[in-house]
Amino acid sequence: MASFERASPALKEILLRIYSAEKPIEVDHQLYEFGSVEYHIKSSASDPQFTYLSISTPLLTQEVLLSYGLSPYTMQMVREISADVLEIVEPAKEGYQLTLRLDFSRIPRGIDSMKVITEVSSVQAVILSSQLKEMLQNVNSWDTSQGMYKPIKLVYHPREPFYVIRQPQKIIAVFPMRFKEYSDVIIATSFFQVSGGEYKLSVISNIKLNSYCCSCNKRDSAYYLFGQELMDVGSSEKWAKVPPCSWSPIPPPELRGEPFEELSTNGGFVSFEISSRHIEGKRLDKTVWSLLNFYAYVKHHVKCTRGFIQRRMRKRLESLVEVLQNSSLEEDGHIKKVKGWRYMKKLVTLSSKSKILKRRCGDFTRKIKRIRFRIKIHGFGRFRRRWLTMPKFSSPIGYTKLE
Amino acid sequence: MASTLRLYLTCIRNTLEAAMCLQNFPCQEVERHNKPEVELKTSPELLLNPVLICRNEAEKCLIETSINSLRISLKVKQADELENILTKKFLRFLSMRAEAFQVLRRKPVQGYDISFLITNYHCEEMQKQKLIDFIVQFMEDIDKEISELKMSVNTRGRLVATEFLKQFI
Repeated sequence: MASFERASPALKEILLRIYSAEKPIEVDHQLYEFGSVEYHIKSSASDPQFTYLSISTPLLTQEVLLSYGLSPYTMQMVREISADVLEIVEPAKEGYQLTLRLDFSRIPRGIDSMKVITEVSSVQAVILSSQLKEMLQNVNSWDTSQGMYKPIKLVYHPREPFYVIRQPQKIIAVFPMRFKEYSDVIIATSFFQVSGGEYKLSVISNIKLNSYCCSCNKRDSAYYLFGQELMDVGSSEKWAKVPPCSWSPIPPPELRGEPFEELSTNGGFVSFEISSRHIEGKRLDKTVWSLLNFYAYVKHHVKCTRGFIQRRMRKRLESLVEVLQNSSLEEDGHIKKVKGWRYMKKLVTLSSKSKILKRRCGDFTRKIKRIRFRIKIHGFGRFRRRWLTMPKFSSPIGYTKLE
Repeated sequence: MASTLRLYLTCIRNTLEAAMCLQNFPCQEVERHNKPEVELKTSPELLLNPVLICRNEAEKCLIETSINSLRISLKVKQADELENILTKKFLRFLSMRAEAFQVLRRKPVQGYDISFLITNYHCEEMQKQKLIDFIVQFMEDIDKEISELKMSVNTRGRLVATEFLKQFI
């Protein structure tokens, strides 16, 4: 989901292992990705020709969910991944939306094999993309009610839904932006403003902000910066062919009527106006993938920017500390003084150690003295005085009593 | 450097030169204690009048002096929210590494962004002039760093937006 790569790296690795194994291997793996995508890969040594791949993924929208699972268009798109290698098994394994039977013996050996396996690993991306493609291509009557175009809510990630609104000559994709941290809002906002170029909108929004958007407090007004950057780039002549982009802290009029809690954001709303030329031929695939990954793209940018700031601060800290170290007196020949102090410290430490040793020896001697023998051995007292008496330590800094 | 900034920094430098004449002075309240009087403020006779130097409403410097210690509190310019967030991040980053600076206070004085505490011991260990140079350079560097960071973040934003929009062509 929130990944720029279409192929699932874990799935790709497992499929490659099965494919490149010299002997048929027994594999029964269950993988979870992004919390809600589930894969089941099964390959048995008794049936080495086929590998079964089942997938369960949340659908983009519940409105297009058909009673029998995925739509025919999606099925067709999945088949087109590699018609020779994969075959859709119907019905799908229980608990999964789609089960594929993979025949690795049909994959040509060499560089192409990697390409085919990568394409098979991107089956989840194909399913999601095809759903959005279908929506962009078909003009359905059910999305208009009383002359108004009803927005379709697409849930690519449970916490990050976005809306697609079909209008007579264009499709508007609206992304409500939410961030956990206030600093992320600021960084993201300074990014949004690059691609739209419609300053009017941000100015109007600025005025309305405090009265309209309940979740955006006064401090959030800084996220106009991002809108400016995103909008600036988009408005230049060079980018005339790209979908017009706008950013607003308040919900666009197309979203009027949607539940209030879904329209409360701290990062505003980014809208892309997609016209027919953006979904022609090969562009459709690119457009769909860009829209699906917009959240991931913004979040990745925010994360990288935070890392950049941190790196820069660390570097700056070093240079600032260096300035302070230069102001130390040591370079002016005061090192001797410091050394002298250290020497004194050493002496103090030594004397304290000798004190500890002396105290311990004293304890030991007292213990020996306390021993009371019932049988008196002749000459033991002298032996004890001669050998069992601990020598007295005299402190180097102690004083001697004057006679 | 802008002329207003130069004047502001010169004023701070001169004030610091006058204020930084610290001497060892044991606490008058507790025997065998030696604490920065500017922090404890136990005896008013040991404190001098604080000096507030303002460049504008957003940029100011408070210099509080006592017999054995000196406290310098700075308020850094924050023109917009991005500068605000960058300043807070950076100064918090420095405050958390206060031990590296010796003279940096872990928590700024209320109403200011960062504070320094210089005691007579610091003046004995370091050269007074260089310590003042450090404070002034620190102020210059913070301003410069925040501006550069802001520009870098905006430039990065622009590049990332460009890359994103390229996908549609």
